[in-house]
Amino acid sequence: MRRLVGVVAVTGVLALLTPLASAHHGAGIFDAETSVTYSGTVTDFQYVNPHVLVYIAVSNADGSTIHVAGELTSPNRLSRMSGEVAWHRDVLKPGDEVTMTGHPARNGAPAVDITRLVNADGVALIGG
Amino acid sequence: MAYRSRIVGPLLVALFGTAWTTPGTAQTLVLEHGADLGGVWTNSNPPGAGPWTIYSFSEDPPPLTEWGQTRFEASKPQRGPRGVPVAETDDLVYRCFPPGTPRIYLHPFPMEIVQTPGRVLIVYEYDHLVRQIYTDGRDHRTDLAPSWMGDSTGHWEGGTLVVETVNFNDRTWLDRRGVPHSDQLRLTERIRINEDGLLQIDMRMEDPVALREPWIAQRFYRKTDWSIQELMCMDNVTYRPFEDAVLEFEAE
Repeated sequence: MRRLVGVVAVTGVLALLTPLASAHHGAGIFDAETSVTYSGTVTDFQYVNPHVLVYIAVSNADGSTIHVAGELTSPNRLSRMSGEVAWHRDVLKPGDEVTMTGHPARNGAPAVDITRLVNADGVALIGG
Repeated sequence: MAYRSRIVGPLLVALFGTAWTTPGTAQTLVLEHGADLGGVWTNSNPPGAGPWTIYSFSEDPPPLTEWGQTRFEASKPQRGPRGVPVAETDDLVYRCFPPGTPRIYLHPFPMEIVQTPGRVLIVYEYDHLVRQIYTDGRDHRTDLAPSWMGDSTGHWEGGTLVVETVNFNDRTWLDRRGVPHSDQLRLTERIRINEDGLLQIDMRMEDPVALREPWIAQRFYRKTDWSIQELMCMDNVTYRPFEDAVLEFEAE
């Protein structure tokens, strides 16, 4: 897990291909049949091509913390979304509280293919 | 001026096409073109289009020759029914080689068409690829190395731009599902604004080495007010660590 969290990475051409957060990884490292939701604090937000990445710290009931990496499509596509939410490089920042829902990694890695992302004001940045 | 409009106008139309209007207007650059296809266009699949539209030009692969079938079965596409993880694919696009023509149309980023005298440019946002379609009557070059995107010439048939593209290498696939082609690929595109106001591209892929019959396909695009943004595939080099980290994860 530490290794995953340590990789401050961008994802690849995969995201160049599909609508928003769905099925970036065609061969399915994420399980599109299930969904998980995490609430936590943003630790890193990378508004970069080809994938936007959102990292959050989630506090467990036992006091421990896990770090979850969430993945979105490209900023090019996000910036062209119609609707009330305008995506831009400052739409999130470290310290923001968010609720992140997505398809989990099949192998249990703390990573999700984001389908819904709600900020502290209750605004759905994705999946509204 | 009456003389000019009566004589010069029809002469220009006869010489260069039907879109000629009034000299000195914004149509000047369209003089030699049959229609104004300019603008930024984005994918607009027909309602109810199948999931295959993101990775191919038809639901099933086209009939392949033995040469084509052998290569198809050996390919390890990342997309489609035979999709494998990125770490295992031999799809060169995941190493940032160009997707080639016509596969470039399967990458869901906009493209801008720019019409200039003697040329039509298609500027693809995906990895900043540009096709130059010469409409000045020249023949295909025969002295060039085989290319990823092909050598394109075009002519107007009324409001339809007819583009012929040859001189491909055989390293790209026709789609994202692993349908191969040879360096004998010949692509004909008929590009026009259809009755719904969409940019319609009718494609005919001919390849006697790989395809048993021409593969006929269509793609549709709607016009947008977007601008083409930067999108560098080489950002991809930072992608693999992310997926590798996910795949290598072991619960503690």
